[in-house]
Amino acid sequence: MIAAPDSPGLVGPVVLSMKMAHRTHGEGATAVHALRGVDLEVRLGELVAVMGPSGSGKSTLLNLAGGLDTPTQGTVTLAGAELSAMDPRARARVRRRSVGYVFQDFNLIPALTAAENVSLPRELDGVGTRPAREEALVAMAEIGIEDLADRFPDELSGGQQQRIAIARALVGPRRMVLADEPTGALDSAAGEDVMRVLRARVDRGAGGLLVTHEPRFAAWADRTVFLRDGMVVDTTGGASGPESLLAGGGRHRGDR
Amino acid sequence: MSIRHGIIALLAEQDMHGYQLKVEFERRTGGTWPVNIGQIYTTVQRLVRDGLVLPAPGERSDDRADVERFTLTDAGRAQATVWWSTPVERGAPARDELAIKLALAVTAPGVDVRDVVQAQRTESMRALHDFTRLKAAQPQTDDLGADLAWSLVLDHLVFDAEAEVRWLDHVEARVARASLHPRPSPRPTDDPAAGGAGGGRARRRSGAPPPGGRRR
Ligand SMILES: Nc1ncnc2c1ncn2[C@@H]1O[C@H](COP(=O)(O)OP(=O)(O)O)[C@@H](O)[C@H]1O
Ligand SMILES: [Mg+2]
Repeated sequence: MIAAPDSPGLVGPVVLSMKMAHRTHGEGATAVHALRGVDLEVRLGELVAVMGPSGSGKSTLLNLAGGLDTPTQGTVTLAGAELSAMDPRARARVRRRSVGYVFQDFNLIPALTAAENVSLPRELDGVGTRPAREEALVAMAEIGIEDLADRFPDELSGGQQQRIAIARALVGPRRMVLADEPTGALDSAAGEDVMRVLRARVDRGAGGLLVTHEPRFAAWADRTVFLRDGMVVDTTGGASGPESLLAGGGRHRGDR
Repeated sequence: MSIRHGIIALLAEQDMHGYQLKVEFERRTGGTWPVNIGQIYTTVQRLVRDGLVLPAPGERSDDRADVERFTLTDAGRAQATVWWSTPVERGAPARDELAIKLALAVTAPGVDVRDVVQAQRTESMRALHDFTRLKAAQPQTDDLGADLAWSLVLDHLVFDAEAEVRWLDHVEARVARASLHPRPSPRPTDDPAAGGAGGGRARRRSGAPPPGGRRR
């Protein structure tokens, strides 16, 4: 009756790799082990969701992945560069060139138009104003929001602002997007629009790491990693056979 | 879900013959609940018997004399109005295998509830992934109404699976809290495995995915 959709787009090379990453705050008796030996790989074209109770280490994981923080043990490699072995300035350069962030509260600059917000990271990269704007328009067109280019944030809904934040995160050469509860401030339908855009953008050639506490949104990812007390306790997702789809008549279909 | 109410609702819009009822029912519910023509006719006959439906007058005179159209009686029309204005009863929940399984797991010797929860969550998340993939792959057609119907039906499955995952998280948290303040529970004394303090129950899962957990 219902055909299984093809599995999501081709998966490319590894963008982010964490190996036995630990992050301990403080020392001795008062040490807090925020992460305890996490292995994680994200490839181009892959969106990975991170779930877990509060305090389980999700934000720490994202901070390590984006080079905002470094592991106390283990390695983090982003776009081929081993962040954990770099001095802060070199790390900041890799970070600027390779990753973009999306936060719960959108974080757009109110005095700038949508296109100016999206082009800002490129201008900070040293690209001229005009080429930066061109790139911004490309990034916006890729997710179908070019018509919002000249609007200001306060003229836009939360869902629209968040889609602009996604365009900004992946403008220019950036290939990794780190999203911490990007749907947290949105209603369910707007949250879904944002997930659709994030998914589509990742499918076109980016890696994504998404922290969310909503299983419904995690389900847009290829895999979901569950953290508990700083460790990965479970991984779900990945390809599944057509037997599990609607036509298969699983437990959820018992009412047919 | 009863086909009965669906048929009444469709006939409230216009008179239809049996095959038309089948096609409309399926289209309007996003193709999720296929019905066979036999079910349609059986149900229509019951509705006729109950005085809610009548063969439409004058039908046999046209060139498609073999197809009989049906129409609602006043009582049938009243039923349609009542159906739209009355919430579907939640009723007593069906005996849910999962709830029973977890209830038993809490006290079953040698069973770690957390393992049961984890395995189930893997399965529920997989279902959630699959429904979401169907949503993402939904082709846009010319029939906006049918597209919307289909995606709403999928959303129902999505929210249902999500509720289960949330409940499993809750169970896990409750179990973890309870194990911090253990209460004496009846355990078979002749089971050597259940003997020592801090036995199998306190065991944590390692990083390995459970058997059957999938990776791409
Ligand atoms: N700078 C810090 N100093 C001390 N402890 C910290 C610091 N940052 C995070 N932690 C602790 O590390 C653990 C993980 O935190 P976090 O990664 O923010 O979890 P989550 O995002 O899952 O809620 C928590 O116990 C938190 O209190
Ligand atoms: Mg956090």
